[in-house]
Amino acid sequence: MNAIDPIHAEAQGIRLSGVTKSYDAKAVTIPPMDIEMRAGEFTVILGPSGCGKSTLLQMIAGLERVTGGTISIGGREVQDLEPKERGLAMVFQNYALYPHMTVAQNIGYSLRVAGIQRAERDARVKAVARMLGLADFLHRKPGQLSGGQRQRVAIGRAIIREPGVLLFDEPLSNLDAQLRQDMRLELAELHHRIGATSIFVTHDQVEAMTLADRILILNKGRVEQFDTPKTIYSRPASIFVAKFIGAPPMNILPVSGDGRALRFGNGKVFAASPLKGEFLLGIRPESIVLDRHGPIRAQLRHREDLGSHMILTAAFDLVDLRIALPFGSAEPQQSDLHLHFPRECLHLFDVEGRRIEADFHLEYAN
Amino acid sequence: MTSDSARFGHRWLPILLVLPLMILILLFFYAPVIQAFYWSFFLEQPFGGGSQFVGFDNFSRVLADPEFWRATWRTLIFMVTASALAVVLPLVLAIAADRQIRLSPVARNVLVWPKGVAGASIGVVFAFIFNPFVGILAPLNNWFPGLWAPGLDGVDAFITLIVAHVWSGIPFNFVILLAGLRAVPHTLYQAAALDGAGPWRRIRDLQLPLIAPQLFLTLVLEFTESITSVFALIDTITKGGPGGATTLLVYKIYADGFRGYDLSGASTQTVMLMIFVVLLAGCQFAFLGRRINYER
Amino acid sequence: MIENARSINIAASVILAIGIVYILGPLYLALTTASHSYQETLQNGLTWLPGDDLADNIRRLWVETRIPQQMANSLIVALGNAALTCVLSFLTAYALVWFRIRWASVVFALILATIMLPLDIRVITTYQVAANILSPVNALLDLTGLNSLISRFFGAPVQLELSILDTHIGLIVPLVAHGTGTFLFRQFFLTLPRDLFKAARMDGAGPLRFIWDILLPLSRTSVAALFVLTFLSGWTQYLWPLVGASTPEMQTAVVGLARLMPDNDGRMPDFPLMMAGAVIVSLIPLLMIALLQRFLVRGLVLTEK
Repeated sequence: MNAIDPIHAEAQGIRLSGVTKSYDAKAVTIPPMDIEMRAGEFTVILGPSGCGKSTLLQMIAGLERVTGGTISIGGREVQDLEPKERGLAMVFQNYALYPHMTVAQNIGYSLRVAGIQRAERDARVKAVARMLGLADFLHRKPGQLSGGQRQRVAIGRAIIREPGVLLFDEPLSNLDAQLRQDMRLELAELHHRIGATSIFVTHDQVEAMTLADRILILNKGRVEQFDTPKTIYSRPASIFVAKFIGAPPMNILPVSGDGRALRFGNGKVFAASPLKGEFLLGIRPESIVLDRHGPIRAQLRHREDLGSHMILTAAFDLVDLRIALPFGSAEPQQSDLHLHFPRECLHLFDVEGRRIEADFHLEYAN
Repeated sequence: MTSDSARFGHRWLPILLVLPLMILILLFFYAPVIQAFYWSFFLEQPFGGGSQFVGFDNFSRVLADPEFWRATWRTLIFMVTASALAVVLPLVLAIAADRQIRLSPVARNVLVWPKGVAGASIGVVFAFIFNPFVGILAPLNNWFPGLWAPGLDGVDAFITLIVAHVWSGIPFNFVILLAGLRAVPHTLYQAAALDGAGPWRRIRDLQLPLIAPQLFLTLVLEFTESITSVFALIDTITKGGPGGATTLLVYKIYADGFRGYDLSGASTQTVMLMIFVVLLAGCQFAFLGRRINYER
Repeated sequence: MIENARSINIAASVILAIGIVYILGPLYLALTTASHSYQETLQNGLTWLPGDDLADNIRRLWVETRIPQQMANSLIVALGNAALTCVLSFLTAYALVWFRIRWASVVFALILATIMLPLDIRVITTYQVAANILSPVNALLDLTGLNSLISRFFGAPVQLELSILDTHIGLIVPLVAHGTGTFLFRQFFLTLPRDLFKAARMDGAGPLRFIWDILLPLSRTSVAALFVLTFLSGWTQYLWPLVGASTPEMQTAVVGLARLMPDNDGRMPDFPLMMAGAVIVSLIPLLMIALLQRFLVRGLVLTEK
């Protein structure tokens, strides 16, 4: 399929070395950051609002200056170059289509600025429009298009220059749920066809999990974790990541160890372990098993049936435990719940919230 | 936060873009303002006969002149009466035009026409209309001789000025107030109606409070406007007469400066008028502006 | 409306009718008077019915007065004021909004301050500046002591002189030295999505391309609104053209019209001629309002924000 695609980019890797950003001398928005994105990789930058993800994207784009450090694209240092000199393109959150230009003019504007001949411009606009299913709308203005069509125009305008790097700034956040799902698939396909290195900013974990080769999770300007979706889900590097990925979020329970056993806050022994000190124990709602012989007892307080699964909320040791039961599993009949935490599904964090990777030798005392 | 991402970083281009207007403003706004202050401390000879620093002499001379105080007093009276009428009348009209009645589109069109008629032009027209011999009130004089005599009676002349000023001031104030009324969400009226407030009551309890920002703004602008734009009306209708009864400060400054060649005196009065106007606006914004600010 | 509000609607209709009569009455009377002869007006005074001397009065206006030439002056001043204000304040607001400049707020404050003190208040000294627009340069030379240095070497201090009184430029530029346009455009620019700007930069558009390809097409209504507003303002100016032009050849039509009024109160003025003048002089701006009303209203509302 690639052979007949008119638009095909030479993907380029991106490396950020010691990149920092501060808006004034006092407040540091982004502390020194070193990351590398491989050529052709689809990276999703994920984080809550205000975490610096848009700032990071705009620094790569050249819309925001870096305070320190270097950014190189395809081995070329670009931090002092204008956006147009960096060989990248961007899709904006609100599309940012020029309202007074037609679809064709919008898509072809960058070529016009670059002084490309009309004939070639028209040909390339047509090719892009065909690729995105916009061929019938070339002479419409953005105001006459639906949200999804506008989104496609915004993408068309970005890919027409065959950029080595494609940037997306929360491009799906303005679409309704169904359309968002469709566009997600289209974007994934498009990425495979064009092959450009893509960086996609979002606060939506579903978009991140489904689109990304690797997810970069930012918190207050710091990189919490930069890894594949699978690893991020199965081995979150911190409580922040653990709670940010997965819905409902991971249950976090404080435990303390005296060198022989880990105990919950209520003094009940959870498991034998040589660990000493205060820790935080994490378990995902979908990992908790209802088990008549389970050692952990909780009081059922609330149940929400979502059809595909059911979420139970149960009081345990001063905190609320969330338990997700898949469709068809046996529902609890009384409010006294007996639970089992499978050992391989447990995550242990220190009090700072960092993951403890060392094997922590839990022994359940059955 | 407007970060630097949404701006160009050029150094010289913006200076180049701002420069033409800035030069004009420095030359024709700041230079005259500074010169007025400068002259108010110097005794200036007309026709470039040299000047002499006199400290506050010009001010004490002007302040000791009873004609100055009379002109100031008249200016204040005109400012208060004409501004009040020039805001209240458009307010009433705007509330009426905000209703869905047959006349309101016509009114919305016609009421902005005065914007295209110069103060001096309508001054000439009103000078005719209120002429005691051939004007609209001439029959009145047939029955009660001397009842309407703007050429002799200062009050009549003053009334003529106010009627002409309000005529000229309707478009701006009407448009602003109507825009304010139309920005009030319709659901608020519906809510008030459900609360049992009838249409008259809604005017008092909803419309007036909600367009308070616009009312305040029109009043502030109208104060300055009434002080300055009245010149064209005075010069075409009353020429400051009769017997100086309509010589307001702007007109006196003009007469002193351009007819009496008293540059220092005219500048000193200009300075005082400027300070008054700035203080007026400042006070209004400081005291009134703070209270009337709704989040919509 | 919400409920049947008959009483209030009747009241509103009456109020609007009064307002319309108040506005149209004087204009109508001017028109009817302009259609009568001087003699008729002397005898009958003001009449509500039109006569048949309108053409004659207009002809007299055309032949006996300088109104035609002064209308041309007015047109030049109004167009010049509108065009210059639109261009200069567009560029200024553009620089203030879309460039990273530290002095932007200072410049904006300096520009905004001009709205507080209208030209009519500071006419005396504005006249002096217009009489010699290089006088500020002279003053600077004097103040900095440069002039005493110059006079020591060349025998005399520098006294530059350039008057713009009695020129069209001189009638126009003091009107342009005003902040409303900049204010209006700035408000408008701030409503535009910032992403539009970023997108244009990603597309490679520089500052001038951005103006031409993006900003200007998007600002068309605002430009039109300001143009109409400043055209009307230029046309209806009185005090400045009165002092800025001393000869009838250079005066604007509004000033010329006011000059038709005799100074001595002995004789009844030629009211039909003057009313014809008032109608003719107001014709162009009124036509403009009729045709471009929505821009005018928009402009008025925008200046308020």
